Amino acid sequence: MGRLENRIAIVTGAGQGIGRAIALGMARQGAALVIADLDETNAGAVKREIERVGGKASALYTDISNEESVRGMIDHTLNEHGHVDILVNNAGIFPTNSVEEMAEEEWNRVIGTNLIGTFLCSRAVVPHLLTQRSGRIISLTSGRAFQGARHGAHYAASKAGIIGFSKSLALELAPYGITVNVICPGITDTAQPRGHQTEEQIYAQGERIPLGRIGQPEDLAGPAVFLASDAAGFITGQTILANGGGIMW
Amino acid sequence: MEAKVAVVNGGAGGIGRAVVRRLAGAGYVIFILDKNQQAGREISDQLRDQGCQAEYHAMDLTDAAQIKNAFAEILSASGRIDLLVNLAGGTLHKHPIQEFPLSEWREVIDVNLKATFLCCQAVCRPMRGRKSGVIINTSSNFGITGGAGRTAYAASKAAVIAFTKSLATEMAPHGVRVNAIAPGLTATARVMSRYDETDWRELGRSIPMGRAAQPSDIAEAVGFLASDESGYITGQTIHVNGGMIFN
Repeated sequence: MGRLENRIAIVTGAGQGIGRAIALGMARQGAALVIADLDETNAGAVKREIERVGGKASALYTDISNEESVRGMIDHTLNEHGHVDILVNNAGIFPTNSVEEMAEEEWNRVIGTNLIGTFLCSRAVVPHLLTQRSGRIISLTSGRAFQGARHGAHYAASKAGIIGFSKSLALELAPYGITVNVICPGITDTAQPRGHQTEEQIYAQGERIPLGRIGQPEDLAGPAVFLASDAAGFITGQTILANGGGIMW
Repeated sequence: MEAKVAVVNGGAGGIGRAVVRRLAGAGYVIFILDKNQQAGREISDQLRDQGCQAEYHAMDLTDAAQIKNAFAEILSASGRIDLLVNLAGGTLHKHPIQEFPLSEWREVIDVNLKATFLCCQAVCRPMRGRKSGVIINTSSNFGITGGAGRTAYAASKAAVIAFTKSLATEMAPHGVRVNAIAPGLTATARVMSRYDETDWRELGRSIPMGRAAQPSDIAEAVGFLASDESGYITGQTIHVNGGMIFN
């Protein structure tokens, strides 16, 4: 018996990387998954991957920065699966630019996706979780929230914002038995760092991490499953750093 | 496969009993170190009655020689220690600072911090030798917020966090993970005995999730940190407090 049997989980940005690993991890524990992603091809591939191992999943195009699209994601979930128990706010973007060179449009796009997208998705599931008087919201932050990001001020701000947002939402939802927590990966072997670092630079960072390697997407699946499970029912408003000890908080 | 071995100091206490039950359920062979002989024997008997392997060692966790001997015995009996959970401790003494006797202040630091240091030290070599192991220390919400009258307790519990980070850094190259749990208000007999029923209910209501932690809530976090599911987590403190404070 899986620890997430009969649970319905939405994972945004689940078409690849950390989101995909979390979706697969939750599916292995019996949850049915909604794979929400901007890239429909990737989302479809993850859905089939889950189905191949006997899991249940649906996939759909979702732009978390768009209120209409987020509403569609919830409608789809309810139509397809009947209810929703778990939201994982994983989707995010990380373009790079110095503050001096940063166009307002780029600032808006990063905050609009990473932070406002997290708000929109959370707001959309809350009424359903309140009705059930149970549920889990898990959002992904970044070590950059703690340490800043050279040429990524918008990203660092958005990821720190997710922590403040989650603590506040945890206070709002705690009386209803709904928990809200954050997972903080370190540098992870996904497409994201490859946008602005060479392979060599990426793997070299493993040497500075106490556990001696950069993260793999699967490293984040365990913490996400734990936080989503009944075992973590009294943990709320916290940020769990799963980063090989890269930052200790 | 050979069963994994867990040593739980304070394993006969309110949280400790839930932790050893959780770990025994996960298949660990359990060694309980605790000064409370009656409770220690009771819980180890219960575990054995349920078909688990458990052994109790009576001990004063501020006595370095006793700790050294106990770990030597455990290692010679089991050949390995996979998991150390340092739970023993408590507020012990609560006074305004101007009235806090040094002897009592030192006792609080010894029980909460020094015992953790000594037990960690005892397992570091065998864990390094096997290139694997997990250590879980116990902090507290007071280690973050402080508390009037609790200068010693809060200092010791804040110190556990910094100690945990330092040891995590030392042990990471050897495949050993070191983390801490920080329980908030927890419904153990010892804690509940300090309040009348109304005050206890009020206190529970003041917590965002509307109640104190059950020992099993804390035990589940220990179970998570002990498991491979947290294989990339080290040097961290997991707060289990129903939203009382945030990290």
